[in-house]
Amino acid sequence: MFTTFRQAMAWLHTWFGLVLGFVLMAAFFFGALSVFDREFDRWAIPATRIEPQPMPSYERVLRPAFERMQPTRAAVDAMRGQVDGPMPARFDTVAYWSAYTTHRDPVVALFAGYEVPNARHAGEQIYAEATVDPRDGRVLPDDRLKVGSGFFYPMHYGLTLDWKNLGIWIVGFSALVMLAALASGVVMHRRLFREFFTFRPGKARLRSALDLHNLTGVVALPFHFFFALTGLLIFAATYYFPLGHTQLHELHDRAAAIEAQQTGLPHQRAGVAAGLADVDAMVAQARQRWEDKGKAGDVGFLVLMHVGDANGYVSVYRAGTDRIALVGDGIHFKASSGELIREDPPATAVARMAEFLTGLHLQHFRHWLLRWLYVLGGLAGAVCIATGFVFFVEKRKRQHAARGSQGARVVDALAVASVTGMALATLGILVANRLLPEDLAARGDWEQRAFWTTWVLALLHAAWRSAPVALGLPNPAWREQAWAISALAIAAAVLNWATTGDHLLRTLASGYWPVAGVDLALLAVSAIAGLVAHRLRLRSRVRAAQAHAAEPRHA
Amino acid sequence: MALAHAPAPASAPASQQDHPRLALVARIGAAVLGGYGFAWGLVAAATSLLVAAGMGFHDAEFLASLVGVLAMLCAFLWAIAARRLWRVWAVLAGGGALLAGVGSLVQAVLG
Amino acid sequence: MHEPAGAMWLLAGAVACAFAGMAWLALSMPAHARQVWGGEPPPARLRLLRPAGAAGLAASLLLCLRVDHATIAVLVWLMALSAAAMAVAMLLATRPHWLRVAVPWLRGRAADGS
Repeated sequence: MFTTFRQAMAWLHTWFGLVLGFVLMAAFFFGALSVFDREFDRWAIPATRIEPQPMPSYERVLRPAFERMQPTRAAVDAMRGQVDGPMPARFDTVAYWSAYTTHRDPVVALFAGYEVPNARHAGEQIYAEATVDPRDGRVLPDDRLKVGSGFFYPMHYGLTLDWKNLGIWIVGFSALVMLAALASGVVMHRRLFREFFTFRPGKARLRSALDLHNLTGVVALPFHFFFALTGLLIFAATYYFPLGHTQLHELHDRAAAIEAQQTGLPHQRAGVAAGLADVDAMVAQARQRWEDKGKAGDVGFLVLMHVGDANGYVSVYRAGTDRIALVGDGIHFKASSGELIREDPPATAVARMAEFLTGLHLQHFRHWLLRWLYVLGGLAGAVCIATGFVFFVEKRKRQHAARGSQGARVVDALAVASVTGMALATLGILVANRLLPEDLAARGDWEQRAFWTTWVLALLHAAWRSAPVALGLPNPAWREQAWAISALAIAAAVLNWATTGDHLLRTLASGYWPVAGVDLALLAVSAIAGLVAHRLRLRSRVRAAQAHAAEPRHA
Repeated sequence: MALAHAPAPASAPASQQDHPRLALVARIGAAVLGGYGFAWGLVAAATSLLVAAGMGFHDAEFLASLVGVLAMLCAFLWAIAARRLWRVWAVLAGGGALLAGVGSLVQAVLG
Repeated sequence: MHEPAGAMWLLAGAVACAFAGMAWLALSMPAHARQVWGGEPPPARLRLLRPAGAAGLAASLLLCLRVDHATIAVLVWLMALSAAAMAVAMLLATRPHWLRVAVPWLRGRAADGS
């Protein structure tokens, strides 16, 4: 199809980059926001604006909360079709209870799985979740949308498109295309080292767009490559290459059986009732053992399996805050007696590599500089893709104008929607989060509707204003949406003050960085967007003056 | 590599010259589907061979998926750049099927 | 890990070294040297900037390793390098003469109107 390898790579980079670029913009932008997902959660759910706490006491805080948990009515109704017979009023056969927290979580996330009696499929389970204040065990309303960890984060890896995991597949394919675009970009870029620091904003738009595209792509190349690669690896075994559940399920099942034997951790209930020993003592013992091995740390994950059964066991996992790997260092105790069953052995070399690669992406570590550098990398990726769109349109719009083609116009409108439009949608959900009534039913659904509606409106606006592109001129929608971003960002910060009283002076004075950080970021976004809009207006004025001056000559 | 192609030899399928859009779709299909099929087969073979060599299943699964992702990247690039499309299909689809077969065979032997 | 205050200074130092290193590498290229000084400093002096740049980057890595576990330190270093390179490029594009502060011992051939 092509005469040279370089040509083939250029074609690949241009066309696959263009089409999948729209998906990748979302993945990079929301990925960057997800670095501070818990902080967005606290901004969006003021009731959780408390300091992060270590894993609280089982006896005092967790047990009462666990015992009160039950699946939601919706979950019970969904399960009805899988059961022969009546649904119990209460699910009491607990398959597991687990509690999860990180150094950035002010609240503890509780999960429970219950056995379903009379289920058609053996081993069917029904689930419950709760969010709990770690200081007193108070259950927090669970119907609040966690805008960061419950929306931005799923958006970045699956576009919130859950039907048959279609979104995960689309993002996965776009990640592969990202790797291909990086490889092909390097092949195409003849002066990679000579132009490493080159950015000439004064030159013609085509050249300066390409300069910025190359700069943001090359300078953060290891970041872009590794994030695309590790993102794919995180989902590879579960979604993209699920051989363990399909072609190689025999191998998988055999290995699971052997593992159950070797670890001494029972897979099934014994069917014999048994009590529960002092869990807090087990946790203390686990922490002591970690410290003895030179790995002192906090508890990140606490699991109680087969609760109330003789086969029950308690697993205590360490929170990996001081290194990249998602260290588990699990220690397991017999639930009824508190005696030690097993300390997870040091990981194999491959397991350590897996922990490193996935931990690099999932960021459980405590390191604020690295987190901000990750945000910078993500934004650089977004700028790389956005300037790619700009370059594509700039290169073709005059030719298309001469031919009467609408191609450049369509791409430009889509580019506006996926760059400024996406930012507007993000601000839209934050504003809606502050404006909607506190006790609105299904408030989270309305917040999401605000997000998508804003995005659609941005797209329609971009399309409506894009006529000049078909004449070889810029689309005024860029400037207009930049103004809108500037206004909406300020509005969001002001609304936070108006609705919660937590204005910047107060949050900065008390050092409550999660909320102060989001507000500061909103102000910065507003300033930058305003500056950009201003510059674009100046440029359009210059162009209009030039066109005006040129007119008489045509007469 | 840098020399322009001479007019396609008489033996080339007429579709490549007469239907460039079809040729494009076929090329993209080879890259995406062929690449995925090849990667799947490689993951199958690698996983089962690593387990046969004594590695734990989850470790083998992860290492194989790393190899699979990188292989799909290479297959994808090659499929776009390769001269002859039939060769791409032969290697990716054929090779993938062969590798998948190896995977199932090793699984059966181990069982 | 070091106690927080010490860690902050070490990391600030690492970022500064990364910036200096990237600035020196950039300025060792004649095109960028011309942007910063108007004229070109003597080529012998310029050539020294390249190993100096490498040394700056290496110093940055060493400082990162003093603060964190190796796996985190390497990542911090690589990301700091990207940020530093971006900053240098942006300065070259907008306020190139500001970069003279990174090489205070050199003067351009052009009249020293700094």
